[in-house]
Amino acid sequence: MKPAPFNYHAPSTTEEAVGLLAELGSQGRILAGGQSLFQLMNFRVVKPENLIDINPVSELDYIRVDDGTLAIGARTRQSALERSTEAARHSPLIVEAVKNVAHPSVRNRGTVGGSVAYADPASELPAVVLTSGGEVVLTGADGQRTLSAGDFFRGPYTNACSPDELLTEVRLPRWPDGTGHAFLEFQRKHGSYALVGTAVLVHLDGESIDRVAISLCGVDQTPVRASRAEDLVRGNVPSDGLFEEAAAEATSDLHPLPDVKGSAAYRLKLARVYVRRALELAVSRAKGERP
Amino acid sequence: MVETREESAERKWVGKSIQRIEDPRLLLGRGGYIDDMRLPGMLHAALVRSPHAHARIKSVNVEAARRLPGVTAVVTGEEAAELCNPMPDFGPDPTRHEWRCLAKDKVRYVGEGVAAVVAESRAVAEDACDLVEVEYEPLPPVVDPEAAMEPDSPLVHDALGSNIAYEKTMVFGEVDRDFEGADVVVSDHLRWHRSSGQPLETVGAIGNFDPGSGMMTIHVNSLTFTSYLFMVANTLKVPSNRLDIHPHPAGGSFGSKFWAVKVAIIAGMLAKHTGRPVKFIEDRVDNISNSDHHGSDRTYQVELAATRGGILKSLRVKVVDDYGAYIQFGVGHHGNALAQAVGPYRIGSLQYELHAVLTNKCQQGAYRGFGSEVQNWVLERMVDLMARELEMDPVELRRKNFIQPDQFPYFIPNGNLYDSGNYEGVLDKALELSDYESWREEQRRLREEEGRYVGIGICTAQERSVFSATEFWFWFDEPAAPVTSMPESVTLDVDAMGNITATLYSCAFWGNSPETMVAQLVAEEFDVEPSQVNVVYSGTNQGLPATGPGGSRFTVMIAGAVQGASKKIKDKAFKIAEHLLEAAPGDLEWSEGGVAVKGSPDRRKELSEIAMAAHLFKHSLPDEIESGLEADQVYDHPYTTMPSEDRKNLGVFYPFVGHACHIPVVEVDIETGKVSFLRYTAVHDAGTVVNPRSLNGHIIGGIAQGLGTALLEEFVYDESGQLLTSSYQDYLIPSALDVPEVVVGHHETPSPYTVHGIKGAGEGGRMMAPAAISSAIDDALRPLGVRVRELPATPERILGWIEAAQAQSSS
Ligand SMILES: Cc1cc2nc3c(=O)[nH]c(=O)nc-3n(C[C@H](O)[C@H](O)[C@H](O)COP(=O)(O)OP(=O)(O)OC[C@H]3O[C@@H](n4cnc5c(N)ncnc54)[C@H](O)[C@@H]3O)c2cc1C
Repeated sequence: MKPAPFNYHAPSTTEEAVGLLAELGSQGRILAGGQSLFQLMNFRVVKPENLIDINPVSELDYIRVDDGTLAIGARTRQSALERSTEAARHSPLIVEAVKNVAHPSVRNRGTVGGSVAYADPASELPAVVLTSGGEVVLTGADGQRTLSAGDFFRGPYTNACSPDELLTEVRLPRWPDGTGHAFLEFQRKHGSYALVGTAVLVHLDGESIDRVAISLCGVDQTPVRASRAEDLVRGNVPSDGLFEEAAAEATSDLHPLPDVKGSAAYRLKLARVYVRRALELAVSRAKGERP
Repeated sequence: MVETREESAERKWVGKSIQRIEDPRLLLGRGGYIDDMRLPGMLHAALVRSPHAHARIKSVNVEAARRLPGVTAVVTGEEAAELCNPMPDFGPDPTRHEWRCLAKDKVRYVGEGVAAVVAESRAVAEDACDLVEVEYEPLPPVVDPEAAMEPDSPLVHDALGSNIAYEKTMVFGEVDRDFEGADVVVSDHLRWHRSSGQPLETVGAIGNFDPGSGMMTIHVNSLTFTSYLFMVANTLKVPSNRLDIHPHPAGGSFGSKFWAVKVAIIAGMLAKHTGRPVKFIEDRVDNISNSDHHGSDRTYQVELAATRGGILKSLRVKVVDDYGAYIQFGVGHHGNALAQAVGPYRIGSLQYELHAVLTNKCQQGAYRGFGSEVQNWVLERMVDLMARELEMDPVELRRKNFIQPDQFPYFIPNGNLYDSGNYEGVLDKALELSDYESWREEQRRLREEEGRYVGIGICTAQERSVFSATEFWFWFDEPAAPVTSMPESVTLDVDAMGNITATLYSCAFWGNSPETMVAQLVAEEFDVEPSQVNVVYSGTNQGLPATGPGGSRFTVMIAGAVQGASKKIKDKAFKIAEHLLEAAPGDLEWSEGGVAVKGSPDRRKELSEIAMAAHLFKHSLPDEIESGLEADQVYDHPYTTMPSEDRKNLGVFYPFVGHACHIPVVEVDIETGKVSFLRYTAVHDAGTVVNPRSLNGHIIGGIAQGLGTALLEEFVYDESGQLLTSSYQDYLIPSALDVPEVVVGHHETPSPYTVHGIKGAGEGGRMMAPAAISSAIDDALRPLGVRVRELPATPERILGWIEAAQAQSSS
């Protein structure tokens, strides 16, 4: 199981990488952690003529807080995110989520930018970026642009990056103190892709919910934000009945892609259970009842 | 992990937990795997595989592939049919379902090889595979075995005229009478889907042909059945004495490398064709789709008869087994099932109706249990169902029907023999180790107070060991191949320093512990340290008769060989010592690794002194003593008898029968169908244990695999015969994180027929875990009226069963 022949380029700066992309156009392909790309190449599903390896681009390896926004460089390893105290303070949701990505050995190579760019509909990190109201920074030869997560994810394994752009940063805004978070997912076995994952952020104002975000992965062409379910919950006092209703609403218009690990109908049932459970967990955390 | 076992007093090394001799090599990355081996001038091969389940090969155009720089040769199926004879086949009527190393005329499953490319590197070989143009004429695929049995079904093999490769009903004892006389009959429809062993290293071989001598040498990490390698020589068109197979560590087999000869044959064929050494190693897709070693794929209709008081009387089994495109071992898998068809119970009669069907899938081979694990599952499902029907405690129903210790040796209705056992002893130990009673309490509490669905499963089942070849052919009037007793051999050689080398003659290292076993067994015989024993493997060409692992036979058989060879050496050592010590024959005894005069232990000769004399000073010894201190021993199956002419009695064919009781505690999430483990207890009786530590490994590893079979693993073919699970993304094998910690206990009932009383135990955990886990899921979902009737019990299936039961109870 060997890839088709390819040329290899190893730029050491973002500028060089972007220059190569401009030069090679659609003949060039970014190599980050290789944890998804090499599978596709070894199966010869893709046969890129040129690989542009961004592993040497160390300037894209950072986790920092700029103006209350958590900024993660695209080349940051998933395991670095998992261990980052900065990230845990600022966005415990993404740290909880990244622990569900594969196994430690995969996270040691896989990058945050690669996971987001790959736009696998079952992936955890894209769902978290969407939940948090995050953004993605794309850098091309002509400069940078910033897209909201909602605009970035276009379909299964499809994003809004044009062939000459490099995803350079992922940005997550900070949610207010006291926000409860929950990332829960259903895996057939430890470390395998989620059949269904749910990311929830909830903030309470006194008894009732004043801010809420709910997203799901593994249940449609892209990660999806359950806006109608959020509307249903917002302004209300949390209760079992409310969670149940929100879960029903969140899963009322989804189109999961079935595979041997789970049919579409089963994924929908799971989604409903998991939205409810994630809401329960996030609310109990917002109330300080659970760590 | 708790280990409960009293060390045996009479033996010094047999029974001791020593560290595995194989481990340092493996842990240092020096395992000697085939993929690390390079011969000078070696080329690499890759296969063009069929994308169709069933299609006629109209043409194969290899011109572009041959022209690619770095490509040495491209061999099509048609050319391979010139270079090689058909594959060795133990099945019925092999000429009517001819099997070849590369498909000729027709492809019969997705993944079947169509052409082989040889190149300077594997990468170039794969580039060239992309350039081979095969024109196919798709044919209607045969996927569903029931439909395949219909007379108008398309045919997998035209020459056979049917897709039914074999069918037969065997009746042992008064089945009809027992059913008529029964108070209660339970019946069920059960389904076991196909899965297979997943080796860490796939099957690989390096062929090397010397045109000068005509010698074909093949290095291979698979293969057992060493005594049958003449069949491989025939396929390769080389004389049997000019084929030498060099065994390498298998990187795991679990049966899947039992007779994985195709890779070796392809490598050998290509080496002969190109005149250079050729390595061919399967990639994971090759292995999953084209291994020739998928496991059982069975649909059952079963009936069990009993009295109202819970005495089990008779069992009727009807099974359809989907063999895939070929049937290399015939229906030996069902011989295996028959070996322990009535389990540990006094069931007096048995009917077994078998339909072996061919379809467009990868063919079946061997997988840990070889089909008897499926029978265990089926029987235990039925016993649980009977307990429910009779409203009896499943533990008590089992206890009531156990064959009793004083009934051994015990002949089951079909004539096979159980040598010894103490099933209640095993059961009681398992109940105790698992805290069975307190878990029953806890189960009630969790159900009532927290609404949780916790279940306690039980399985009491057999592990037959040490097959005799009759199980492959008693189905037919004539044996398919000339068969012997499946011997195993060893050579022991004591060098001038008194160090011992043991030479093994089969590809014994499957991930089991053959070297540890042999070192301990030799140490036991000579009363030396196991570290004094070096274990090596012979190529088959200089080899003594051997079979290798499979059917949990290796330790029992090699123990016999070691004992025989040791006795020959010790007899000679005594003669030399008589001379050196000037003692009379009767006055000497073996003591502390040497020979001493009885009663005066100071007058002694160490083995090294005796060996030195034997090797260097022959002329100072009596005339009849020849130089050297070595011995061969070929050990034949110690207890097998021939089947009767009418096959109403199959004879003794699998007589060393271990037993185990597994008690898992699981929780089922009834909203998702997910099963998780709270505890797992396994007590095994494998007769005398050689090394509890390595046996624990077998038990735990087998449980991990059994868990995979029960909950995760399934090769899924869609209705067009496409394999949907050709990588580990979709074919799910449990990892360490998915397997519970296992509490292991041992109970030892020695076999009266084997050396030291050892029984085989290599398949252990997987023989029981699917049944035990199914039972636990049933128990958890009992309030909902759900029973497991299909494996793997995936969460989606479980949720479906729950919903179906709820729909039924509300209507
Ligand atoms: C066994 C296993 C299990 C896994 N399980 C999970 C899981 O449960 N959840 C999950 O989310 N993922 C899982 N993954 C995938 C893993 O998380 C990958 O790391 C991730 O999908 C891709 O990241 P990467 O850095 O490896 O990118 P690569 O594989 O190098 O690249 C992936 C794709 O993104 C493009 N790309 C990468 N970086 C950039 C960039 N900066 N700008 C533009 N394009 C870019 C590449 O060109 C390529 O097309 C698993 C992988 C394995 C091997």
